[in-house]
Amino acid sequence: MNHAEAFKRLPDLLDDRDDAELLGHVRACPECQRQLFLLGRVDRALRDGAPAHRRRVPARLLAAAGAAAAAAAALLAVLLPSGTHAHPYMLRTAAGTVVGEATMTHADAHNVALVLRAHGLPVARGHMFVLWASDRNATMQAGRFMADPSGRAHVRFNLPADHHWSHFWITRPAKAPTMVASSV
Amino acid sequence: MNPQPLESDLPQGPSDAELLEAVAAGSEPAFAELRARYRPAVARVCRSIAGGEREDCEQEVFARIWRKAALFDRGRGSAASWLLTVARRTALSTHGGRRPPLPVEDEALEEAVEPAEVDAFWLAAALERLAERERTVITLAYYDDLSESAIAKRLRVPLGSVKTWKRRGLNQLATLLGEEPA
Repeated sequence: MNHAEAFKRLPDLLDDRDDAELLGHVRACPECQRQLFLLGRVDRALRDGAPAHRRRVPARLLAAAGAAAAAAAALLAVLLPSGTHAHPYMLRTAAGTVVGEATMTHADAHNVALVLRAHGLPVARGHMFVLWASDRNATMQAGRFMADPSGRAHVRFNLPADHHWSHFWITRPAKAPTMVASSV
Repeated sequence: MNPQPLESDLPQGPSDAELLEAVAAGSEPAFAELRARYRPAVARVCRSIAGGEREDCEQEVFARIWRKAALFDRGRGSAASWLLTVARRTALSTHGGRRPPLPVEDEALEEAVEPAEVDAFWLAAALERLAERERTVITLAYYDDLSESAIAKRLRVPLGSVKTWKRRGLNQLATLLGEEPA
């Protein structure tokens, strides 16, 4: 096993320490030892960050928990706000040109994720943009983002899940924002 | 033997410390990038401390970061540690309501933060730097507690792809962590 292959497979050692060939390489490779140490910190942080009710359980309990998890997932889908549509909202310029699409997906218990994939944004006057979201009762700045020189951007922001976000638009960051594109 | 991580294992873009230094110099794009990375992590801190005042807290945290970025010194700790301290102190000020605001001055940032807390704070931002498929697989594996087979089924992709994306994502996170000062 060469170094590149071993390096790629180091995360396997977080779950399974029986790979003699991989372990043999790691014992002789300081770089892999350091990466494995860092992987351990990442693994611990990920586990600590998991919500308590979703903490890892021993494999033998997974099967028994399967049915409950499936039921919980189904319940979650039902409880998601109606504003969390999976279909994209097309963002168009005043001339009607589609320059991006916004998609709402589940993020966590408190938030929905707003994912924007933009292309062809007008970047002549700078690369900064602001993405907004609104429902009938509230308007919120989802966040600022940069577009690359060709006007492409792919960003993700969390929004509170207790709204029915249904309108999205992009402005430039200014005291009197100018509209760049909108979903309506 | 090549001692460096593979190029494909390195997420693109400047480090958090580089962004903070650019923010200190007045770079708005750097600030936007830093905000995009750390928004979920800051939101979590604000939610846990400031509760219902979470939105005010988040805005104030980033306003302070914009104003105080010049105080960051990478020789004294990681960017994540500095940002976590700013977020916590701001959240305490926000939640304190009538109490005098807690200063976010140089000496205030020397307070000790638990390494595990910093890792968790940093992790939320680092996940934002992964490609969507790697982030999705890792989130499903750790936060939704799904096996690789279950993830493959849910995403309707081959099991081998899930293994590859999970390995790559974890390696990218480890590499990013290694770039941060201890």
